[in-house]
Amino acid sequence: MRLGLKGRFVAFVMATTVAFGVVLTALAVRTQNDRLRHELVERGKLLTTVIAANATDAMALLEVRELRRVLAEVLDQENVLEAVAFDEDGRVYTDGTLENPSRHTPIGEAERRHTIASDALLVEFSGDVMTVTRPVWLGGRPLGGVRLRYSLAGLARDQAALARRTAMVGAIFTVLAVLAAALLTEAVTRPLKEVIRATRSLARGEAVPTLRVRTSDEVGELAAAFNEMTRRLRETTVSRDAVDRVLGTMGECLIVIGPDGTIDRVNKAVCKLSGLPEDKLVGRPCDELIGTPEGFRSLIDAVSSEGPVHGLETELLVKDGAAVPMLVSVAPMAQSSDRPQAFVVVASDLSERVRIESQKDEFVAMIHHEVRGPLTAVHGALGLLAGGVAGELGDRARGLVEIALRNSERMERLVDDLLAARKLDAGKMDFRMEDADLMPLVEQAIEATSPYGAKFEVLLVLDERVEGARIRVDPDRLIQVLTNVLSNAVRFSPAGETVTVSVTRREKNLRVSVVDRGPGIPEEFRDQVFEKFARAGPDDWRHQSGTGLGMSISRAIMEELGGDIFFESEMDVGTTFFVDLPEA
Amino acid sequence: MARLGLALLAAVLLAPGCQQTPNEPAPKEPARTSGATGVLSVGSVSLNPGREYQTFRPFADYLASRLGEVGIGNGRVVVADSLSKMVADLQRGSVDLFIDSPFPVAFVCDRAGSRPILRRWKRGSDVYHSVIFVRADSGIASADDFRGRIIAFGEPFSTTGYLLPKAALASSGLRLVNYEDPAATIQPDHVGYVFSNDAENTMFWVLKKKVAAGAVNADYFEALAGSRIEELRIIHRTEEVPRNVVCVRDGLDPELIRAVEEVLLAMDEDPQGRSVLSGFEQTARFDRFPGGSADQLGRVMELLAYVEEDLGR
Repeated sequence: MRLGLKGRFVAFVMATTVAFGVVLTALAVRTQNDRLRHELVERGKLLTTVIAANATDAMALLEVRELRRVLAEVLDQENVLEAVAFDEDGRVYTDGTLENPSRHTPIGEAERRHTIASDALLVEFSGDVMTVTRPVWLGGRPLGGVRLRYSLAGLARDQAALARRTAMVGAIFTVLAVLAAALLTEAVTRPLKEVIRATRSLARGEAVPTLRVRTSDEVGELAAAFNEMTRRLRETTVSRDAVDRVLGTMGECLIVIGPDGTIDRVNKAVCKLSGLPEDKLVGRPCDELIGTPEGFRSLIDAVSSEGPVHGLETELLVKDGAAVPMLVSVAPMAQSSDRPQAFVVVASDLSERVRIESQKDEFVAMIHHEVRGPLTAVHGALGLLAGGVAGELGDRARGLVEIALRNSERMERLVDDLLAARKLDAGKMDFRMEDADLMPLVEQAIEATSPYGAKFEVLLVLDERVEGARIRVDPDRLIQVLTNVLSNAVRFSPAGETVTVSVTRREKNLRVSVVDRGPGIPEEFRDQVFEKFARAGPDDWRHQSGTGLGMSISRAIMEELGGDIFFESEMDVGTTFFVDLPEA
Repeated sequence: MARLGLALLAAVLLAPGCQQTPNEPAPKEPARTSGATGVLSVGSVSLNPGREYQTFRPFADYLASRLGEVGIGNGRVVVADSLSKMVADLQRGSVDLFIDSPFPVAFVCDRAGSRPILRRWKRGSDVYHSVIFVRADSGIASADDFRGRIIAFGEPFSTTGYLLPKAALASSGLRLVNYEDPAATIQPDHVGYVFSNDAENTMFWVLKKKVAAGAVNADYFEALAGSRIEELRIIHRTEEVPRNVVCVRDGLDPELIRAVEEVLLAMDEDPQGRSVLSGFEQTARFDRFPGGSADQLGRVMELLAYVEEDLGR
């Protein structure tokens, strides 16, 4: 059993008191023993002397009856075992009883000799019996003497009684000392217990009351120091609480991973998503929670090579063995100098997004199969009609066929753009990268768009060239971007205007600039130019001829090609789109 | 309680002849037999009337309680401080029964006409006698050698310690003279005597040659001599006399006497009677005189003349 401070102190006091009491009792008993023995001896001597004095006359007159009376009184005295009066020959007169069985019996020879030799006391001890012989002399001659056998057993009784009393007093003092020690310890430990309770409350994150500083001693100082500590800690805790509330409120998952790859902390979102309580997660390897290919090592590598990393897609392994798709950001977290680096992982649940993407894929697939195929057939058929395969058409019929043909083309572009945008979003668009000359690609794009410009009476002109400019690119995709930019420039250029294309070298990049003399892009629309289905406004009918996906697709392609696309625009002056590509 | 105390005190004070010392406790009210109103008075002589009263009281009560048939309803104890007063009480009829040693009884019979009726076995013995002894080396061969010497007797009222041996010596023609000092010079034709007042004193006085001879109850002699008995020689043994005697006053109703005798003779057969006897100086029983009272007390009556003066004091 482990004793507390109070128990130890009480045990110490009790042991000390008992030990002290035992020693004190032994000393007291010994001292009392000596004193009592001395008193008994002196009492016996005195009693014998008194008897002798009272017996002198009776002995001189041979008044044995008087001797008997005197001795009978002595026999009533405590501790007196025997009292006899004897003559000068050492023969007993009387032992104080009527029967007097000792009558005429001789006393010891030593006592007899002593009696006739001296009137001094003769004291002998035998066990617990003291024998005192007092010779009785009168007129210079011995008359006899008296002998008293005195029990010292009473001494043992007195000693035992004394020991009992002393032990009882000692026990009382021990009890009192223990009580006093308990009270004293209580007085000391009570504030300490309050500190302990408060500390435990603090450890549990509960509210900690201000401790009462009752005294100015060390315990009081401890309480004051604790109060100061909690005050300062409370200030820190307030901010920490705020952080905790934020972390608890945020929908994203937050996981703190220690240097050894174990989970140090998670927020409520993790618990909710994984279906596991915090105490089941903390301390486990992060590999059991985050489904990266190489577990913790993948995260460390991602961070150490690139610094903080964002947008990692991985999975969170949840309770029932399922995996939840997550978008993860990992950042190293600096700790104190003597502690290795930890990592903070913030993960967003991609389940909904994946579901939506899946729906999109299904939709696109449906468009591809159910719309584009028939549309191609329609477009082909209209082309044949327009080409006179089915015979010459009247002017009115031709006009109608051409309208249908143009709309079918526009619908094809729309479907193509939709499919392309979806592929780019899903990362499923194939890029066949190769080294190529830039200028032929630009010329092909201008050539492909020129018919379209002719429809709007807009002329496409290649104004400036960079001969021998080499780029690493998917030629088809670059042409798709340039065609899109050129088509836009055509659509927004007034009839009769010219769209000027120029290729220039900008440091390590090659830049294709497409300049139109259109109305310019409104200020409020410029941020939306590269977003899907972006339109400047409903007024311009030509806008409606576009799909609203072209610029979005173009930027996505340029990002995949490692280049950039952007623009400069001035209202009522025109717009210039720049397509930059790193020179190979 | 106060009323009861007063009643007890009155009962004691009303008891004629009972001389209580102030320190004696108030005695219980005497037993009363229903219907009987007569009183039987039991007398004794003592210088310590309180103790004597306490000794005799249960005996008197028992006796009275058994005498209802003869009209006795109460027992009464009368303690006198001298035989002369007891004689007067007997003569007056205020004492009906007197119990004492043979010489006192002989004295009252002689003076008051009382009549001995029974023996009392006191302290377990029916009869006793005295021995007169000397040191074996004293040169005393017979009582005649006591002339000019001192003999030690016990107490003045003791039958075996004084009255009987003195009477025995005096009857043999010796003239006994009382001395105070054992060392006194004795006339050659006198036998001096002193009172040692204790048999043990007597023994040691002889052994230590303080006196030439001593007289003690024969029953105690050997015990007193103990291992030194060889140093002693018995010079004379007195006749045996009854240990204690019950006498009745002259003129007491014979029917009552007969009833008293019957009760006393049967007392040791009754558990209550035995209990009373045990506390009555260790009395074993009462019996009739073997051979009659005259035979037993005849010698005592003869010797009475030698000690009459001592008894009449």
